[in-house]
Amino acid sequence: MFKINISSTIVLFKYLRKSLFLNLFNTIISLLMIVLLSAAFFYTFEWLIFKANWKVVISNLPLYAFGSFPPNEQWRPATWIISLLSLSILTLYGPEWKWLRKNLLIVWIGTIPLGLYLLYGGLGLSPIMSRHWGGLTLTILLTVCSSLLSLPFGIVLALCRQSSLPLIQKLTSIYIDVMRAIPLIAVLFFGQLLIPLFLPVEIEIDRVWRAIFAFTLFVSAYIAEDIRGGLQSIPKTQIEAANSLGLNQYQIIQFILIPQALRIALPALTNQSIGLFQNTSLMAILGLVELLGIGRSILANPEFIGQYIEVYVWLACVYWMVCTIIAVLARHLEQRMTINQANF
Amino acid sequence: MQIKQKIFLQFGICFIFFGLIGILINNLTINLIRTGLGFNFNWLFKPASFALAEHPLPYTSSDSYAWALFIGWLNSLKVIASSLVFATFLGTLIGFARTGKNSLLGLISAGYITIIRQTPLLLQLMFWYFVGFLGLKDNMFIQIKNIFNISNQGIEFSGLTFSSEFLALLLGLSIFTSAYIAEVIRGGILSVSRGQWEAFRSLGLSERKGLIRIIIPQALPAIIPGLTSQYLNLAKNSTLAIAVGYSDIYAISDTIINQTGRAIECFILLLVSFLLLNLLITYTMEIINRIILRSQNYS
Repeated sequence: MFKINISSTIVLFKYLRKSLFLNLFNTIISLLMIVLLSAAFFYTFEWLIFKANWKVVISNLPLYAFGSFPPNEQWRPATWIISLLSLSILTLYGPEWKWLRKNLLIVWIGTIPLGLYLLYGGLGLSPIMSRHWGGLTLTILLTVCSSLLSLPFGIVLALCRQSSLPLIQKLTSIYIDVMRAIPLIAVLFFGQLLIPLFLPVEIEIDRVWRAIFAFTLFVSAYIAEDIRGGLQSIPKTQIEAANSLGLNQYQIIQFILIPQALRIALPALTNQSIGLFQNTSLMAILGLVELLGIGRSILANPEFIGQYIEVYVWLACVYWMVCTIIAVLARHLEQRMTINQANF
Repeated sequence: MQIKQKIFLQFGICFIFFGLIGILINNLTINLIRTGLGFNFNWLFKPASFALAEHPLPYTSSDSYAWALFIGWLNSLKVIASSLVFATFLGTLIGFARTGKNSLLGLISAGYITIIRQTPLLLQLMFWYFVGFLGLKDNMFIQIKNIFNISNQGIEFSGLTFSSEFLALLLGLSIFTSAYIAEVIRGGILSVSRGQWEAFRSLGLSERKGLIRIIIPQALPAIIPGLTSQYLNLAKNSTLAIAVGYSDIYAISDTIINQTGRAIECFILLLVSFLLLNLLITYTMEIINRIILRSQNYS
């Protein structure tokens, strides 16, 4: 049963020769790389299996996932994360039933109120203050809420920047340019320290929502620029065609401009959401115990002192995995959109 | 829309907008009066009374807050400028490795780019600082005749010392930005049409000469804008210095706010200094862009 396909082996050899050992310089580099790579792999595996002490990760798994959420209520964030995961799997590999595909977007949006309900409690669940939220749950909550809020805000900003009314166009331009010029940590700091100063004494917003608000302010400026790029690449003839069909301005925006601009801007928007997910780690400096913050507080525990590498490698893996899931979901959405476009 | 309608709409929106801002500022003044702080910049000239580990110009704790902020700005500039150079160098190398013919190199650089781009910068900075530098031995790690020392205090090179905070920030920022710059470079090279490659090959130019004379000059106009935005990101990301304890402009503002409670004033100063930094980078890149275009007779 063991048949070597000779021609394919020859093709492989030819390919290797062409891509790795084309000339002396390339050969030296390739050999050097092979040696370095194998050494790196060897040491990494040796460290991963024999040297690293994974107790700091394994014994703290609930902390990484839920922070200081009360232990007997931890099924609530767990339910939320599992439902998000299974929904991702369903979206990617689920059956092609039409009614399912049609309602998937609504289900996705529905996960946000579900998550908030499960975390906050009330209506039969014991209420839990937001200062107990933490870990991956808080990271995901920050990402999801901020991106959902900043998308419509960004669309409005982009439309305003393209507007024919000079005053509105100037104001939005100033907002977008200033937001894009300042570092995120300054905006988050503004959110944590200064938002209470701008509000009347009797109104108080908790830290998590202040962070979400600051993220929204920041990210929407970037989203607005991405969508503006999409808007600008729509040919003028489309608007003329819509005008001649008798559509009014709002119909043109709703049916012609926004769907196309969103489709064009989708890769950029994916990058923004991945960036947002990573940037929630900045809240670790500003006093929320999200994923990185939990890592920091575990490292401050005398029991686990000095085990930086294990914790950081583990956190990097978690961040990497979630980023990959977001990217894969976005690519799926992109493909689906092109299929839909082809069906027109 | 009619012109009258347009003007009316704009004024309406502006009225609402400025009304909202007015309410917010009113709240702010009430809150500031309540906390007894008020709004002024007189505190800038009082002695700062905190020490700075790193100062390119002479600084003592009896110097004013303004001077401390200026030192912070210089520190920021120092780390931004040096990581900009390193990131560009590294990013160019990786970008070429990614587009080159050697598929092993391409694979390695693709792996590098995904790992770096899909983990948060803050995590990477902490890794470089706590694992990379503080993990070194207390005494000298590498010592070569008192000229070149590496220890957990940093690097000392014939009288010049670089603190481990600075180096961790430099390393983290350079590596993080280099992955993005590599993608910009790759995009620029791919934007040159295949015909150009075939053309210079058929003219008998060597790969290296063709790359330098034909491909890179045509890729540059596509690369420069992407590069500019990466440099701006680098400048903004340098504020994460606070995580490793490097005293840049943001870290010093943070200390001052903790000491004096002047959050609004410090925030405004931070805003202005970042707008200045951005202008500096944008204009420098604009000049470089113009020089390149002129040398190619595009303009």
